[in-house]
Amino acid sequence: MADTDTVKLKTETVKLTIDGREVEVPKGTLVIEAARKLGIEIPFFCYHQKLKSDGNCRMCLVAVEKMPKLQVSCSVPVSEGMVVHANTTVVQEARKGVLDFLLANHPLDCPICDEGGRCPLQDYSQKYTAYGQFKEEKRIYEKEFFSPLIEKEMNRCIQCMRCVRYCDEVIDSKALSSVNRGYHIEIGHYGEKQLECEFCGGCVQICPVGALLNRLPLYEYRPWMLTRTETTCAYCADGCSLRLESRPQTREVIEVTSFWGNETKTVWGKGRNEGDLCAKGYFGYQFVNSPNRLTKPLVRKDGRRDGPLVEASWEEALERVAEEFGRIKGLHGGEAFGALASARCTNENLYVFQKFIRLVLGSPNVDSSVRYGMVNAARALTELTGTPRWLPSYEDITQADLVFVIGTDITHSNPIVGLKVKAAAKKGAKLIVGSPLRPRISTLSHIVNLATRHLAHRPGAERIVVIGMVKAVLEQGKAAAGLAEHPSIARLRETVSKLSQKQIESATGLSYDAIRAAAEEWTAASRAVIVFGESIVRARDGYETVRILGDLALLTGKLTAEGCGLAPLYEENNEMGAYEMGVVPDRLPGLGRLDHEPDRERVQRAWKEPIPTGPGLTMIEMLAAAREGRIRALYLMGENPVGTLPASAGAAEALESAEFVVSQDLFLTETGEKADVVLPAASFAEQNGTFTNQEGRVQPVRKAIEPIHGTRPDWEILSQIAVEMGHPLEYQDGAEVSHEIARLWPACRPGGPGWREIPGRSEPAVAAERYRAERLTEGISERYRIDSGEKVPASSNGRFHLAMGPLLFHSGKMSLQADGLMKIQNRPFLYMAPEDAERFGVGEGQSVRLRSARGPGSVEVAVKIDAKYPPGMVFFPESFNEPPVKDLLTVELDKASHVPVFKTAEVVIEKIT
Amino acid sequence: MKYEKVLHKNLETPGYTGSLADYERQGGYQAIRKALKEYAPTQLIDLVKRSGLRGRGGAGFPAGTKWDFLPKDPALTRYLCCNADESEPGTFKDRELIERDPHQLIEGMILAAYAIGAKVAYIYIRGEFVYGAQVLERALAEANRAGYLGKKILKSGTDIEIYLHRGAGAYICGEETALLESIEGKRGLPRNKPPFPAIHGLYGKPTVINNVETLSNLPHIVNRGVEWFTSIGSPPKSPGMRIFSVSGHVNRPGNYEVPMGITLRELIHEQAGGVLGNKKIKAIIPGGASAAFLTESSLDVKMDFESIAQVGSMLGSGGVTVMDEDTCMVSAALNLMEFFAHETCGKCSPCREGSSWLVQMMRRIEHGHGRMEDLDQLVRICNNIGGKTVCAFGDAEIAPILSTLKHWRSEYEYHIKEKKCLVGNRGGQLLTIGKH
Ligand SMILES: Cc1cc2nc3c(=O)[nH]c(=O)nc-3n(C[C@H](O)[C@H](O)[C@H](O)COP(=O)(O)O)c2cc1C
Ligand code: SF4
Ligand code: SF4
Ligand code: SF4
Ligand code: FES
Repeated sequence: MADTDTVKLKTETVKLTIDGREVEVPKGTLVIEAARKLGIEIPFFCYHQKLKSDGNCRMCLVAVEKMPKLQVSCSVPVSEGMVVHANTTVVQEARKGVLDFLLANHPLDCPICDEGGRCPLQDYSQKYTAYGQFKEEKRIYEKEFFSPLIEKEMNRCIQCMRCVRYCDEVIDSKALSSVNRGYHIEIGHYGEKQLECEFCGGCVQICPVGALLNRLPLYEYRPWMLTRTETTCAYCADGCSLRLESRPQTREVIEVTSFWGNETKTVWGKGRNEGDLCAKGYFGYQFVNSPNRLTKPLVRKDGRRDGPLVEASWEEALERVAEEFGRIKGLHGGEAFGALASARCTNENLYVFQKFIRLVLGSPNVDSSVRYGMVNAARALTELTGTPRWLPSYEDITQADLVFVIGTDITHSNPIVGLKVKAAAKKGAKLIVGSPLRPRISTLSHIVNLATRHLAHRPGAERIVVIGMVKAVLEQGKAAAGLAEHPSIARLRETVSKLSQKQIESATGLSYDAIRAAAEEWTAASRAVIVFGESIVRARDGYETVRILGDLALLTGKLTAEGCGLAPLYEENNEMGAYEMGVVPDRLPGLGRLDHEPDRERVQRAWKEPIPTGPGLTMIEMLAAAREGRIRALYLMGENPVGTLPASAGAAEALESAEFVVSQDLFLTETGEKADVVLPAASFAEQNGTFTNQEGRVQPVRKAIEPIHGTRPDWEILSQIAVEMGHPLEYQDGAEVSHEIARLWPACRPGGPGWREIPGRSEPAVAAERYRAERLTEGISERYRIDSGEKVPASSNGRFHLAMGPLLFHSGKMSLQADGLMKIQNRPFLYMAPEDAERFGVGEGQSVRLRSARGPGSVEVAVKIDAKYPPGMVFFPESFNEPPVKDLLTVELDKASHVPVFKTAEVVIEKIT
Repeated sequence: MKYEKVLHKNLETPGYTGSLADYERQGGYQAIRKALKEYAPTQLIDLVKRSGLRGRGGAGFPAGTKWDFLPKDPALTRYLCCNADESEPGTFKDRELIERDPHQLIEGMILAAYAIGAKVAYIYIRGEFVYGAQVLERALAEANRAGYLGKKILKSGTDIEIYLHRGAGAYICGEETALLESIEGKRGLPRNKPPFPAIHGLYGKPTVINNVETLSNLPHIVNRGVEWFTSIGSPPKSPGMRIFSVSGHVNRPGNYEVPMGITLRELIHEQAGGVLGNKKIKAIIPGGASAAFLTESSLDVKMDFESIAQVGSMLGSGGVTVMDEDTCMVSAALNLMEFFAHETCGKCSPCREGSSWLVQMMRRIEHGHGRMEDLDQLVRICNNIGGKTVCAFGDAEIAPILSTLKHWRSEYEYHIKEKKCLVGNRGGQLLTIGKH
């Protein structure tokens, strides 16, 4: 409270009069916004709150006393005592005049234009009745193919440049430009044949008219025929708010939008994304109505494991599951079950899932896809600050004076947080980027390009880079006031002082001076956030690295300070939710510890039943136990370990060894193919619930359409099996589950912000102090070690560092079912530096053979040349299993967090002759 | 009458080549020596303010006042830009100053840069001025070698560098903010003002843009003093000399440097040798294509900023185009409209859409497909453009149509009714071309 008050005091205000009414607004406010505040509508086209004013359409002209000409209210800031007339005859005439000009060459094709019905040109034309006296020949642009996803109809363009400005200013993709001059201006792109860009859809959405359109639903609808549902994206953990525009009668999602406000797109979106989306959010919705969706349960013919999967009724399938589960439980007890869930499911489904596993099956063995890495950060963060949630918010990133991005190719992994970082950089924040990637120019944005300091370290050396920074801070005596005297910090200083600069240099490939300079900037900053992602969270020593980042922040007083802290990025939309719902063996819903008696007691009281004590098995342990026959049944809700883990992890064998496997999913996955029963689940568009984004914001998921015929929401399926098993977990609807969760744990209410609302939790600063006093030195020499082998192969010996990771256009396997995304990219490539491609004599699209340097097997894969990869490093997008590059990898289990580490490998590349 | 030449003095001296040696021989580069020694930058600004020197690029804004708008914070980087984009139809005075006396301009720029505290200055030269660019490159090299430019010029504490930047053939890049965008490497599109370049100019820094002729005046003001300058021309509001580019139906088209305030009659009949074939004058454009047409009844108007403004036109860029009695005013207006429709940058809707609308209507009328209601429509379209655009191009492009309609409406009506030209070598000829 105190903070907002001081902010208010600081902003100067200005008084002005608009149409005879006085209004007081902050200095710098634009006249058009001041008018909006009074409810006075000034029409406009080119203005947009997200963009710098360009003042080109001239629709927003107003009269300002003492100024000779009419003024563009979208570009003129208010001044004290200003007197504005927004509706005089002169102003009205000017508006009509502008409309006349814009309509002069505009075709009368509203009846076939998808924008019709939500088009400001239409609306204003009615409202301000242009004269419409243009009797000359209309300009006709030749139709040209723009992109499979975006339709360009230049005859409708009003040259407002919103599209170009959005692409430049917000996305930093710079894929569009106006071409030609004057009367002949049109929108063009820099792609070779067709548009090549990030496909965020922003230009389509921001175009006020039907000049740029989404081609996926082209000619399919009139906007007023669609039902709008405000919900949360189901792809990544950025947690974007979007609207599903659907046709409930046919249970179809027709398109996605994300601008809010009125029909004329004046106010750009709500939500953590403020209306911005990425390709997955905007073009990736079609998995919902994919023809590949499962719509009938599948069971093994005649119940024989070697029989084929055949369609069955829900009754039959549920009965079979209940029967088998009951049988196994009766014979072998709860411990014989293993269960894995996908962190794409809603909190409600996850909550019911773990409750089902723990109470109905009586098993402690429940885990989820957070095991692929999120737990590394969650665990470290909980130790450091008492909560896995972020302390900084997205707004803190935007307002930071320094952002340190490390271990993530953020445009690809978490594009919307990427926009926040870009916004900070554009406002003048320092941007330190630790990344092996090189700057490169293309029409895909690249955070390294914006770095004010680029630490181009060796692939995989993130941990050592941060160790170097900790060392530099301590050497410079720059630890925050009062900290240096503490024995734990002294111990840390002693530990890092034993590491030589040489060691750090050779392990990171950076000069120690560069690391020191970065450390100095970090120390000097006052609002600073560390944004880190997949190459730390899912990598070797992930847990340790997050702790080291925590040490760095703690040392410099930036772990829990206002506007500062750690911001780990996650791939799946509800990883935070899965963790908080206790879909990990060691945590209960609400983050209580399973092995902590009072925590367990609290949940038991609510559930009125005992909870198996465990310790439960984690994902890889479960698979091993299944192979060894200790686990006899596996329940997989949305989780596909066979499709995700390398073959060497033995997931397929685990499924084959188990007596009974249930796969509950939207699609028949590699895992489903090995199951005994496959249950078709409803997607996020078909049910109510919540997702918790990586910050820890609990956000609503709303039903846009009824479940696709034949599918059911996960919680309902679970509840039905429970009933069949004689152990009812009955819920009327998703909302009842939400209430139960909120009763158990109030912080899981939708809209609940960060840690501040977590009752019963000590303030993060107290937790951090406890960490410093009690735990900082725990495992310190292990954490701060530099292995002699910590070197990455040079490409000269034919060995490459292979990294598997996210691609902007795909996420997991779900995106492969989205037609729109497949139109952008439907096959994988091995991305490679031009120098390496030249060395192998391979051109774009030609294939090379990829072999593991350690294990057997090889695959052939087509090459894409991308200068951002340094020589010696190649990248393969993890969503694609064909060719099976992932099966070249080996899995290494993180001792601390049981995360299966497998995203990188040493590989050999051979030219195919 | 013959007048003492000032800006043209060197270039009209026989044998003058414009080289550094020639310029120095004529007393060149003394003004910067004097200024560096005698005036602090603020004093120099004050001097130019007192001289009343007004911009020769078009708008006639007082130069000293413009300079004084720059923020006073000495820590800020400032820029000077010389506008040498001269593309206004009928205007060709800067070209001569550049090609024949480049050092006069460079000295003027050094003075301006010194006054406003700019360490870097640009000359933005029209792309088609290939020879002018070569001349300037050579002159800049000479001035650098001689120590007039570069670090610590003339061993003072002042650094001034000048870069030549060539345009790519767009008229709009002469508009000062489009010029800045173009130097920055972007599309040459005008910016909305405010903020004015004095606050937010090149690369967002305080910037002064002045025309070639404006800058070329500076050495003379410094050398000869404010008293001298304010005693010539048409003081107090329009002091000094002015170079008029006279073209059209005159016997001796060319650039004439005369004191501001001589009459149009004197300029046309005495300086430019009168009208071709002794015909009567029908129309005069007094200040470049952007200025409204005047009739021969304005021949006795004084050529200074105020007097020309009083009769509804402007002194503009100093391009004086004379049209004799046989000129068809519809085709003259169409001719200029074609130019504007081609050169509109397209940024703002009234100008982008309006210019082609106007051109199409004018073509129709000219080709005998006009309708009487077109005439009011033309005025309405013009009024919807004027004052409503991003830059002054919008006001410029409507001047020919509005002024010809005002003075010669009957010619338009004749075109529409008779489908013929009223006058000229096509007089009486049927005009229906194409179909409309
Ligand atoms: C469309 C347009 C074109 C212009 N072209 C020129 C030009 O070619 N040369 C020039 O000096 N000024 C031109 N101007 C005027 C400049 O914007 C600016 O006012 C001038 O360069 C300022 O210099 P001055 O104050 O020394 O006259 C043009 C203005 C407009 C609106
Ligand atoms: S990145 Fe592509 S989709 Fe997004 S605004 Fe730019 S051109 Fe449009
Ligand atoms: S395509 Fe749309 S957004 Fe882009 S300039 Fe044209 S009307 Fe404006
Ligand atoms: S008035 Fe014409 S030239 Fe000036 S900005 Fe607008 S479109 Fe461009
Ligand atoms: S909205 Fe102000 S000029 Fe376009």
